[in-house]
Amino acid sequence: MVSDAETVAKGEWYPPHSSGSVPARLLSRGGRLLAVTDEDVALSDSAAGELSFTPRVGSIPRRAVFADGSVFESSDNDAIDAFLRGGGRSGWVHRLEEFHPRIFVFAVAVVLLAVGIYRYALPALVEVAVLVTPPVVSEAMSYSALNTLDRTALSASQLDEARQAEIAARFRQVAANAEGGAGRYVLNFRDGGLIGPNAFALPDGNIVITDQLVELAGGDDEMITGVVAHEIGHVEYKHSLRQLYRAAGVAGLVMLIAGDVGSGVEDILTQGGGLLALSYSRSAEAEADRRSVELMRKAGMDPVAIARFFDVLEAKLGDHASTSMLSTHPGTPERKQAILEYDRILQQD
Amino acid sequence: MDNRVSAGSAANAFERARFTGTASEYFGIWIVNVLLTIVTLGIYSAWAKVRRNRYFYGNTVLLGRAFEYHATGKQILIGRLIVFAFVVVANILAAIHPLFSLVTTILVLIALPWLIVRGIRFNARVTSYRNVRFDFTGTAGGAFVSVMLGGLVAFLSLGLLAPLASRWLNRYVFNNLRYGNRPFDTDPKIGTLYRALLIPALMVVLGLVVLAGLVAIAVVGMQANDPGAFEHDAAVLMIVSGMYLVVFGLIIVYGLAGLIYRAAVHNIVWSSTRIDGQHLLRSDLSRARYAWIAISNVVVTMLTLGLMRPWAAVRLARYVAEHTAIRIEGEIGEVFTQFQTTGAAVGAEYMSMEGIDFGF
Repeated sequence: MVSDAETVAKGEWYPPHSSGSVPARLLSRGGRLLAVTDEDVALSDSAAGELSFTPRVGSIPRRAVFADGSVFESSDNDAIDAFLRGGGRSGWVHRLEEFHPRIFVFAVAVVLLAVGIYRYALPALVEVAVLVTPPVVSEAMSYSALNTLDRTALSASQLDEARQAEIAARFRQVAANAEGGAGRYVLNFRDGGLIGPNAFALPDGNIVITDQLVELAGGDDEMITGVVAHEIGHVEYKHSLRQLYRAAGVAGLVMLIAGDVGSGVEDILTQGGGLLALSYSRSAEAEADRRSVELMRKAGMDPVAIARFFDVLEAKLGDHASTSMLSTHPGTPERKQAILEYDRILQQD
Repeated sequence: MDNRVSAGSAANAFERARFTGTASEYFGIWIVNVLLTIVTLGIYSAWAKVRRNRYFYGNTVLLGRAFEYHATGKQILIGRLIVFAFVVVANILAAIHPLFSLVTTILVLIALPWLIVRGIRFNARVTSYRNVRFDFTGTAGGAFVSVMLGGLVAFLSLGLLAPLASRWLNRYVFNNLRYGNRPFDTDPKIGTLYRALLIPALMVVLGLVVLAGLVAIAVVGMQANDPGAFEHDAAVLMIVSGMYLVVFGLIIVYGLAGLIYRAAVHNIVWSSTRIDGQHLLRSDLSRARYAWIAISNVVVTMLTLGLMRPWAAVRLARYVAEHTAIRIEGEIGEVFTQFQTTGAAVGAEYMSMEGIDFGF
């Protein structure tokens, strides 16, 4: 009775939901598939259309479930494929996966795509995200950041009101030419405490300058103005928001591509993303430096006043360190050089 | 290493598992997974996970039969979409008002034990061996105590109570695990687990001493300069480098100690596990060899821009499989699957997004 049937593959047959297997063959006959033992005893049969094999992955065994819930399992992948091909559908993904010269083309494509996404798609996405971020987000971020700093590191400024007013007047002069006008930026005086001489910008336009920085500048008010102009540059270019989105984008990219990077590698990639973010912040510093030169020129002050600040740093702190992988900021001598060059270019125009 | 296909006849002898996959075969699967994932903007990653798991399960051979992974790409995609939607909504809410992030955090914490159970159960139910599925019967309360509380205790005690946490976690996972209608049971002894902690603890102490020494040198070097300066100065540079040193140092020290500890605990737990009260499991990973494979895998993967990842994954899977064995006491008999349907994929997907993977 089964002699007229075509053998599809050899394998094993399992009763429904049971581990008790018997060696079996899968036969195809008259549009039906049936499993039989080596002695041709019928075990199960179903219409061929009801029976589908699990897709081929490497050379692992594949299985098909009969209508009664019993299972035929076989490692004879080529025989199953030969049978299925007669019926039409076969695994195109598996054919792509086979070890074939085109695999190397895929590898090159993956590397190029990953680099391309990182170089072009990611910055574009960051720009879009920055554009659609409502101002309320950066306001909320800035508000909570300044609150936290005030509660932990910073305390009220010790500078007298007259000195604060002098510095604030010059600040308004440079801010007048900045995007959004003087009203967009607020200068805050604080005692830096452990932070020491420092100045930083919050995304909503609040700029903080520490007493220690004012002290370090001596009487050179243009130098202080150059530094706050640099901070205005950070606000204009939305550097902190950009950096935030960039970090999120790199993390997303790692998760997207990395499906199977392995947990240890994933940690390292995330750390590596942090290092790349640092190199981004170096270019942001350079951008803010150039903005300082422009704003100071427009305000009729010494455009390279901020460069004098680097002189002070070099003289007082012996900071001749050049840029390294781990620094958030470019080396001081390099920055001074870049500022002076940029000023020369502006003078020529 | 004897790998005869003989469950009944080789009574009282341990039989090792095998891993039959090869790096070249897996490379094809992996590179196509990555390529299609990129091209489909991540959507294919659900199907990629299924193919990857089917390959690794299907090549893990115990007593002549391979394991099987049954989840479908669609199931996993739906789980991922739900988690993704939740993350997006939570982030939008957090951006609108900080208070919302508190609410969503509390919600996640409340839901976490339930998600953990769903995750383990999903992974168990989509796994089969000899046509019989695994199952997991743990409760959310158990997950809260053994996974969350245990993790917290281990973390807060700086690892000193880690053996206690390991015991809770593994008892919870294995004692609730079923192979069809047969239960697993395990009872790793707390004394044995503490002995496993000895070497990792020494490594951490030594590592911290070395790190503290390096930081001290950095601080002295910093004080040689004028303390404090503007945001672009040497002190900040040294603080930043110092912070990186400490962060990377801690990751390396704890990572290494964790690898050694994990291998030892794996051996202890598996070797104290029985199926159906009689069939014994055994694991004999060498701690040094396991750590070496894990570390060199990461290094080789990094140096080859990830292209050697398939080789690394196959290498680790092969080592673990070849150091896992089972001893069948008498006849294993016929085992029946207890349930018919599988749970939704949401729980399991949350786990893998969070990087918590409870393999068993």
